[in-house]
Amino acid sequence: MASGVSGYAAISTRVRAMYADLLSPQDMVKLSDAPDVASLIAALKSTPYGKYLAGLKDNELTPRRAILQIKHKLADSYSSVVQQAPEQTRPLIRQLYRYFELGNLKAVLRSIQTVSAWNADTPAWDRVREVLFPFGVYTSIPAQAMVETGNVASAIDLLRGTPYEATISFAARRVSAEQSLFPLEVALDLEYWRKLWAEARKLAGKDREMAVKIIGSLLDMNNLMWVIRYKIYHKLSEEELINYTLPFGYRVRDEDVRAIAAGSDIAAVISRIYPNITNASSFFEDPQSGLPKLEHALKLQVMKQCNAAFVGDPFHIGIPLAYLMLSDFEVQDLIILIESKYFNLTNAEYRPLLLKTIPL
Amino acid sequence: MFFPREMTEVELIIPSKDLVAVARVLSGQGVFHQLDSTYLGMESSGPSAWQDKAGNYSALERRVQGMMQTLGLPEMYPAHAKPGSLIDYDTLRAAVDRVDEDVKGTGDQLIGEKKRLELLESQLRQLEPIAHVNYEVGALRKSSYMHSILGVIEADKVERLETSLGRVPHVFFTLKDDPKKPIVWLLGPRSASDNLERAAKSAFLNPLSLPEELNGTPEQITVTLKQDAEATRQKIAELEATLSKLAGKYKDELEKLLWDVHISRVIADTIVRFGQLRRTYVVLGWVPTINLDDLRMRLKQDSPEILIEAIQTSRTGHHSGVPVALMNNKWLRPIQDLVTTFGRPSYGELDPTLLIAFSFPILYGAMFGDIGQGLVLMLVGVLAHNRIFMKGLQSLGLLLVYAGFFATVFGFLYGSIFGFEGHLIEEYLHFHFEPMWMSPLENILTILGLAIDAGIVILIFAFLLGLFNNIRSRDWAHFWFGHTGIVAICFYFCFLTVLNGLLGTTPIAPKIAAAISQLPLPFNILTPVFALGVMFNGLFRNMVEGHRPLIEGGVGMFFVTSFMDLFEGTISMLSNTLSFVRVGAFAVAHGGLSLAIFSLAGEEPDLGFWITIIIGNIFIIGFEGLIVYIQTMRLHYYEILGKFFHGGGTRFEPLVLNPSQEEA
Repeated sequence: MASGVSGYAAISTRVRAMYADLLSPQDMVKLSDAPDVASLIAALKSTPYGKYLAGLKDNELTPRRAILQIKHKLADSYSSVVQQAPEQTRPLIRQLYRYFELGNLKAVLRSIQTVSAWNADTPAWDRVREVLFPFGVYTSIPAQAMVETGNVASAIDLLRGTPYEATISFAARRVSAEQSLFPLEVALDLEYWRKLWAEARKLAGKDREMAVKIIGSLLDMNNLMWVIRYKIYHKLSEEELINYTLPFGYRVRDEDVRAIAAGSDIAAVISRIYPNITNASSFFEDPQSGLPKLEHALKLQVMKQCNAAFVGDPFHIGIPLAYLMLSDFEVQDLIILIESKYFNLTNAEYRPLLLKTIPL
Repeated sequence: MFFPREMTEVELIIPSKDLVAVARVLSGQGVFHQLDSTYLGMESSGPSAWQDKAGNYSALERRVQGMMQTLGLPEMYPAHAKPGSLIDYDTLRAAVDRVDEDVKGTGDQLIGEKKRLELLESQLRQLEPIAHVNYEVGALRKSSYMHSILGVIEADKVERLETSLGRVPHVFFTLKDDPKKPIVWLLGPRSASDNLERAAKSAFLNPLSLPEELNGTPEQITVTLKQDAEATRQKIAELEATLSKLAGKYKDELEKLLWDVHISRVIADTIVRFGQLRRTYVVLGWVPTINLDDLRMRLKQDSPEILIEAIQTSRTGHHSGVPVALMNNKWLRPIQDLVTTFGRPSYGELDPTLLIAFSFPILYGAMFGDIGQGLVLMLVGVLAHNRIFMKGLQSLGLLLVYAGFFATVFGFLYGSIFGFEGHLIEEYLHFHFEPMWMSPLENILTILGLAIDAGIVILIFAFLLGLFNNIRSRDWAHFWFGHTGIVAICFYFCFLTVLNGLLGTTPIAPKIAAAISQLPLPFNILTPVFALGVMFNGLFRNMVEGHRPLIEGGVGMFFVTSFMDLFEGTISMLSNTLSFVRVGAFAVAHGGLSLAIFSLAGEEPDLGFWITIIIGNIFIIGFEGLIVYIQTMRLHYYEILGKFFHGGGTRFEPLVLNPSQEEA
């Protein structure tokens, strides 16, 4: 098993080179200054995303298509990192990558529920595939066959033999009883993060320390947002809130989640966990607009953790993990940019949502 | 045989009235590679009616296949089925509906009964862990003061469930401790039933699905469920018997229907890709030139007014769009598979199948030379080819026959029979047998040197084939300055003289390199000249091809990359040449492995000795045989094919009615 200097010499160098390729705030300003989608895409062509957009003709470059192409870069980053990572860390990276497959699975199931509302002239699969993450041949879900079944129960049947079978077998009964995908999505999320956390905990030494720090930070954000959203929007009971969250993380302890579930002041809990988030109570004055801001603030915390991984000892899994997360955040920023240009939003409307901060 | 089949591009203008007849001819001959011509059409008023028709036929085909599956019939077409024509959709659908009416009811009933049996068996399994509880299950449901939930939960959710109930009075029992799906019983006061239900539901605790009407103790319920399950099994058997009768009744009809629907679907699919003009259709495609006259005649027969324009395609130049039909017969199919795994030749390119047909078995035989083991390989190959053994590897069977044959030939040359060599043959097999050439074990360095020599010959041949391909494609830039161009070949010769200087008079010094060094040429001048040629070949290629700018990324970077080109080229030549030493090394290793088996077997030719020899030979054939196969493949893919073969051809995929007609 390669580890330490020997295991990380190559990947660390490569990831640092890829890290240098991430868009700078200046790049983001330049992209943000584009007056419309076409100009934005033209500007993107001169960035490292250019080669993913180059093959497309101008008339094919719809915002949705451009987003799909941009995601290809993230997919390539994952396969590159998986191939070069030390063997013992690959299960963790693969599980992290599975997050996008999980997203695809949810998108496929949601599309089946809403398919009747679509334009019947366009085959359902043609509509769905453009929004899926380009997971490629490594995917374990038969997405097209699922969409073509036209109903959730049959689609779920097709997941036999996939890593999702066991989880789904428990949640499927509730899906048919409640006619809602909510329990299934919750079960899939919980299972995904449990497995990811378990993979992080399997590592040893510095690898484990960094994985727990980075994956834990991401988990903290999800756990907090889950418990807050379920409480505020879904009005779930204390027991449900506890069962729909996870008892581990990096900074967020189980007691924090349970305190929120039991009715403690959420803003106070957040301020205690993240002392640098000073205006926590403002997020809850109007949750509709406040919660996305809270999520944004939590994502910045994760980004900070990721950027910190590049400082100091470079021979650990923290650097590849941090790079992959920063790439994902960058793609999220670009999606916001493309969609904002498409919907003609003003700078003031979308710039605060970007993770790479751009002055207004 | 050395090139893909000659192809002709065909453009057809078809009168609307002959649309179906022409589509039938095109799809029935198995020689027409259709191109999508819809973009040539003038009518752009949305999807054509043929698209709907094709979709309908396709759905009908799936229905017939589904019925055949339900009846347990293989998806077959009638024996001696002849290409028919497009049959009216409504006629076909009526026939399919009629059969389906008979089959569907029974089929659906069978599925329902199977699901019921599955449910009953699942209920029986759920009852197992509480079989010993002498308490009425119904009473738990009807309890006035207690709320009880009995069910299955994922093991890793148990702890969280208990945490969530921290403030709710309850008791929690694990009835069956399963590492993945324990069966648990949650019990609490009825006043807290809402909390208990919410907690159980959110922990995905699935309550046992026992029907409301089932009452009594678990033991009594089990008896009832078992009786139900037995009755269901009988019902399933009856329904299967009915389906079996229906299968007999409808077999021929369904096969005929499948064929008719399939033909109609293929014809409709073909028409969908035609370009529709006002009163005519335009069709583009490729036909092997040899089949053109026959196709033309048949088209004219069915559509006298059709316009056919055939455009001959030269084999020289670039042909990325021309489909490639390889011309190899069935005996070369396994070799062709090896080649196409690496890449499909492009239209103007040399098909290396025949070359590999010789080089692959010869190199394999040279590494695995043994008369007995070679014959065993041949036997296994014959059995596999005739599907007696290793079914499904028919194609590999032939490859084993060829490899086994040359292993046998080299066995004679090396004097090896099942690992017995030299005095061992006389001692244990009681006859005299001398190697016809040399024993690798006794001439280790000689055979290593010869292997390098053989490699040099093969590489030079591969370089020349690369030049040949460049000439055919009129690619002069690569002809002169490509990585296998004239300059690179000249540098390779110079490189061999340097190699000869390095290896000197050592036994593994390649004799060909020594012979080249003896040529009356100023190699000390030529070597740096051609080295510079290789170093700047990118620049020269740009000059010949007219690419501008000639130098990209600044002069400094240009020199660095040029130097790296030279360095990489030299290293490649060295590694490619020395790579062939493995041929000799494996020949030696083969003898060494046999010796190891003999030392395990001992000296006395008793039963144990022979058993060890037999097991050892099986091991050598299976293990070493596989390794040598991989090595041979590696030599071809990395050292040989890469020198002259680019691949990237488009597969020739003619329209066919019967899938068994398709080219492999």
